[in-house]
Amino acid sequence: MVEADIIERTDTEPEVAASRVYEIGYHISPSIKDEDIEKVVGSIRSVIEKAGGSFIAEGAPALARLAYPISIKENGKRVEYDRGHFGWIKFESSIEGAQAISEAIKRNSDLLRTMIFQTVREDTRAKIKIAPLREVKRTDVIKAAPRRAEESAPPVSEADLDKALLDITGE
Amino acid sequence: MSNILTQNDIQHIDYKDIDLLKQFINPHGRIIARAKSGLTAKQQRSVDSAIKRARFMGLLPYVQK
Repeated sequence: MVEADIIERTDTEPEVAASRVYEIGYHISPSIKDEDIEKVVGSIRSVIEKAGGSFIAEGAPALARLAYPISIKENGKRVEYDRGHFGWIKFESSIEGAQAISEAIKRNSDLLRTMIFQTVREDTRAKIKIAPLREVKRTDVIKAAPRRAEESAPPVSEADLDKALLDITGE
Repeated sequence: MSNILTQNDIQHIDYKDIDLLKQFINPHGRIIARAKSGLTAKQQRSVDSAIKRARFMGLLPYVQK
């Protein structure tokens, strides 16, 4: 009985250790048309399936503004983008499979940037809602202060000026 | 131990939770030290790697002018 237990454990252990949970994060180039985005995601999915991976969760690509411009080579030209369609896929795969997927997605020219890393099966997104630190509240439109009407003094004659000067200085 | 992660029972830090990660960077985009953030060593390590992943993916800035 004890021997059988030990044999069973040793049989299953290497399999458990070989399969790991990974997550791919990617930015699809904004030059890709909206109707073709699903095709690009499909190509990533097919790469994962080909490497023997099984899907756990997925986040559909959504257009996101980048914190800094990312430049890539497109048709021999360097192009800079300030936004991209960000999506992610969580999957389970062997170590060799994950390496193959990593190399395959790096070669995909439709993707601005990709990242693959080991994670956990559970949902890692925070459940709490955190308000942005610097919330700018929209107030009423600031109206420009009315400009003071140009002081339109009547022209002063020389005699009046002299009189005024005498009043100030001459005593 | 009262920090935002312990209070809200957050076990895993995800690089996609930008609003949460922004609590741990200063206005210049630099990671806030443990002494100031009040995180445990384990929490600080996971926040660290999440911020670095978010930076690589262009979700957070490396430097903010």
